[in-house]
Parts: sequence; C-alpha cells; structure tokens
Amino acid sequence: MPDRLLEVSGLGKTYGDVVRTVALQDVTFDLQRGEFVSVIGQSGSGKSTLLNLIGLLDTPTAGRIALAGEDVTAASRGRRGALRNELIGFVFQFHHLLPEFSVLDNVLMPGRIAGLRASLLLPRAEEALGLLGLEELRDKSANDLSGGQKQRVAIARALMNRPALILADEPTGNLDSENTKAVYELFRRFNRELGTAFVIVTHDRSVAQQTDRILEVQDGRLLQDVANGYLGAADGSAAGTASASSAATISPVSGMSLMP
Amino acid sequence: MLSLSIATRFLRKSPVQSILIAAGIAVGIGVQVFLGSLIISLQSSLVQQTIGHSPQVVVAAASDGRPVAYTAALRRVLTAQPQITTVVPQRSFSAIYRSGGVSAPLQVVGGDLARLDTIYDLSGRLSAGSARLGPGAILIGKDLAARYGLAPGSRFPLVLPDGTTTDLTVAGVFDFGSTAANAGTAFVGSSLAASVLRYGPDQYSSIGAQLHSVFASKTVAASLAAAPALHGLKVSEWQAQNADLLSALKSQSASSYMIQFFVLVAVALGIASTLAISAVQKTRQVGILKAMGMRDGETGRIFLWQALLLGLAGAAAGVAVGLGLIGVFTLVGRHNAALFPIHPQVSFTLLSFLVGVLVAAASSLISARRTSRLDPIEVIQNA
Repeated sequence: MPDRLLEVSGLGKTYGDVVRTVALQDVTFDLQRGEFVSVIGQSGSGKSTLLNLIGLLDTPTAGRIALAGEDVTAASRGRRGALRNELIGFVFQFHHLLPEFSVLDNVLMPGRIAGLRASLLLPRAEEALGLLGLEELRDKSANDLSGGQKQRVAIARALMNRPALILADEPTGNLDSENTKAVYELFRRFNRELGTAFVIVTHDRSVAQQTDRILEVQDGRLLQDVANGYLGAADGSAAGTASASSAATISPVSGMSLMP
Repeated sequence: MLSLSIATRFLRKSPVQSILIAAGIAVGIGVQVFLGSLIISLQSSLVQQTIGHSPQVVVAAASDGRPVAYTAALRRVLTAQPQITTVVPQRSFSAIYRSGGVSAPLQVVGGDLARLDTIYDLSGRLSAGSARLGPGAILIGKDLAARYGLAPGSRFPLVLPDGTTTDLTVAGVFDFGSTAANAGTAFVGSSLAASVLRYGPDQYSSIGAQLHSVFASKTVAASLAAAPALHGLKVSEWQAQNADLLSALKSQSASSYMIQFFVLVAVALGIASTLAISAVQKTRQVGILKAMGMRDGETGRIFLWQALLLGLAGAAAGVAVGLGLIGVFTLVGRHNAALFPIHPQVSFTLLSFLVGVLVAAASSLISARRTSRLDPIEVIQNA
C-alpha cells in the first residue's frame, strides 16, 4: 500500500463560461496516509472548493488529482461515487443527515451503499455509535437530535466504511466550544487509532493549531503548507515540511476496541 | 435492495402525500374497473337480449321457399363445429290469425319442443298454460293473447299460406320480453308445419344454431359455407343482419375507451406532478446519498420504487373501489328492473390493475431522470 494517499498538482477550478470566477488555482500538495491536516483561509478563499475537489464531489478545471494511486482527474461520475464510498468519509458543517432515518440507519447508510454484507453492517455501525457515545440515541430520528449530537452521528457515519480519508468542512462551525473540543478529540483519536487521514477545513486558527500540518489557502492559491509539531501523533506520521510550531494536549480516550 | 428501502421510508415519512397519490390512483382505477365492467356487461346484456334467444347462424336453401334436406352429412358438419352449442332444424311459414273480423299476421315456427327450447326456452318463458306442441296445439305470445283476449284452451283459427284455414287450440302463452316477438311469433309442432309446407321427414326451412361465443358467428358461418355438405345452401349469421347493433356496440366501446384513456392520462399526470414535487423535496437527501457514493441509477430507482409501491397500493384499492361500485350498482339494480346486471370482468379488472401500476411507474420517469442527473455538489455547495 503506497503511503501517499492523495496527490494534487496544479489543481484549479474556474466557474462560469462568460464571467469567469477563479475559485482555485495551481494548488499542489501530497497527503500521506494517516496525516492529520487542516486547511485554513478566509471565507471565500477557496478552501471548501479544494475540499470538494479532493473529495471527488467536484471536478477540477485544471491540474490533476490522484487518490490511492489512481488518477481520478477525469474519472466518471460512477467511479468517483464508488471511490467516495470506499475511501472517503465526509463530515459537513450542516451534518447532512437524512432526516427520514434513525441515527442507526444514517450510520449504516454508507455501508449499505457499499453493499457490505449483513454480518458486518450492524456490528460496524454499533461500534461506530459506541465510539461516539451514541448507543442510547440509535433509534432516535435524526431530526430529534441537538446540533452536537447530529455532528457526532455524522462522524460515526463517516467512519462506517473505514475510509482512508475523512474530509471535514467546518465540522464544528455550528457547535459550542465544549462540543467543538469533543469533536476534535474524536478526530484525533480516530486518526491515531485507526490511521485515518483527516483534512479539516476551518477558518479558526486555534483549531488548525491542533493538527499536524496546516495548508493555508488565500485567494484560491496555496499560501503556505507548514508542519505543526503535534505531540500526540502516535505513529509519528506527521509530515514535516516545515518546523514544528505549537503543541496541544488532548487526553487520550480509554477503553476503545476496534474491530478488524 | 437499498433504493426500495429508502423509497419505502420516504413514503412512510410523508403519509398524507402518499395516501393522496394512492387515493388518486385508486379513484382512477376504480372508475376504470367499474366503467369497463359496466360497458362489457351492458354490451353482453344487449347482445343477449337481441340474439340470445334466436339462432346465431342459420343454414337455409339458396332460393327462398325451398327446403333444406337435413341429411346425416349436414348434421355431422354442424355438430363437428366446436363453437356450435345447439342445432335446431325448424319449419317456418307465414300465416294469419283470423277471427270475427280481426286478423293478425304471424311468423309460425314449427319444431320439436325439446329442440326449440334449446334456443327459445319456450318452457322456461311460459306465462300461462303448458308447453305442449302436440297435433292441433299452438304456443302464442303474450301480446297477441292480450290483444285478442286469448288464453290457454282458446280456439285459434289460422289461415295457412295456401289460403285454407286450420283450427288450432292455444296450449300456452309465452313472454319473450319483446312486444314484436310476443305479437308476431307462434310455435307449432314439427309435423303440423311439415304438412303445411308439404315437406318430407328430412326437409326443413332452415337449420338454426347457437354458439358459445356469439361473436364467432362470422368465422363459423364462413367455415360452414366452405363445407362440401353445405354446397348449394346459404349460410347467414346474426352480425351481418344486425349491422346497426354492431355499430352501436362499437361506438359504445370507442367512447368507453376514450373515457378510460383520459382517466388514465389524468391519473398519470397526477402521479407525475406529485412525484416531481417529491423529487424536488428530496433533492437534499438524494445529494447526500450521492455524496456518500450512491450511484445515479440507484437514486433514480428510489422514485421508480415509490411510484411502483404507490401504483400497487393505489391500483389494489382501485380494484376494491371498482368492485364496490359494481356491488352498489347491482344492489340498486335488484330493486330496479330497468337496470341490467353488471358482472365484474376478471380479466379486464386484472388488466386495469396492471395498467394502473404501469402508468404509475411510467409517471416516475421524469423524477427518476431528474434525480439521476443531480450532481451532489449542487446540494453540498448550497447547503
């Protein structure tokens, strides 16, 4: 398995044919498996566009993207969908849960789309719910949850297919500071214990400080790509393209047992 | 199947919308089932009234007034036809009832009572007297009897084609349910008719037959006409002689098809528009499902399944509504002799059910297509 999970080179996105709006241009970076990265930038800087492109939700107008060694720049809609399902978990600012379904059904959904066999589906979903402390909410409607609960369900859903990469777009944008802290602790824990790579889009520098590497986007360009010496990175996979600058401490969560 | 389970969930979570669509389909299919059964029953009732009690295929001599020899060969050809249920050789002539200065023209049919019963059901439709066709006996219609004050046992002088008069006795009075038949037809025994017509034992004026399916008369007549045993004979069938009735039946069918077609169009438009609204309402959910990797076709199938489920439920309820309407009509008809009986048409009802489901499925195509084409980024970006 190559260590390089994502390769982005010369990536650009321009909207409109007549009035052209350049949302992103000439962005180049690699992402290793198990990296914990944040993308920061002002509102409208292009960070969400970058996330949508590397999440294969959108297609670039320039440059190239390779995911897990496969060039996906011009992949078909079907192929991009299959790769999203298999390799990528999403956590959006607005949760994007399915309101018609229960908490459990929402978490199960990526597994059911993947066609996971029944014997694997429920234990995995229950494990994800357990990791996020959602056991008691499993049969509740997704509509009946608080914002923090919804975001935890969205995270459990993102974990369901054991993706190599979780993309989170302002995942704590609607949460209070307590829930925000809890969410980043969970991210860090899954990063450490499952080896899941994270790319977290945020406009909050204090949040970014807790990641191993910061990509700063400004006016659609990658302004800087710096390593952030996070102390708790268990597997030492934190990329070091720049000097370590800060540290944060998150208490490790005990009693976690992960299924194969 | 994931798309089916999502479709079920979507339907269950919008119960009012789901029930309204299903009710729309139910009304449409209910009208279909009722209207179809009504028209089919009306037509078969009309056909039954018109030709149910008369020969549907008639073999006669090529020239009028000549007898047909009812030979063993002819009998074999007729009985070999699988469509033919009964064969009745008969001897008919025109005569006049004349008594005390009044006279009435009559078409007199002579034959064996048992044979004649297979077509005319004289024994079953007797309103007075007894069904006997012995020597000197005549069965007359209700209207003739009423007009001239005749009853069983009355003297019945009959002027024969040769001008002579024979005195008969009324044995019974029948009611065919038609004034023309009740006033203008009479039945006598076969030997009496033979002597009037001066026919030999095997000679008849015509051989009538009834069929399993009255609309097979054309084919049966054509097949009989081609048989060597019928060489020199003339085969006629009821459809050629009732062109007006047939064209009325056809126009009735055509107008019924028109109504049914537009009912289905209305049902289809109703489902299509409601599903289109539902598809718009579910755009966000579809976008989320696609973001998680659900394939375009699978998301499209969610709406196909919804339409199929609604179609199945609606069409099933529609069949119940239709049968219920038929029940009500039958109940009302019991107390109203002017109404004819409606019989539920099993194959037509099944067809209506199937058409209902298919129309519903077809109505989902717009929504399914729209859903298939949705790009998840549209939803994610516009959250």
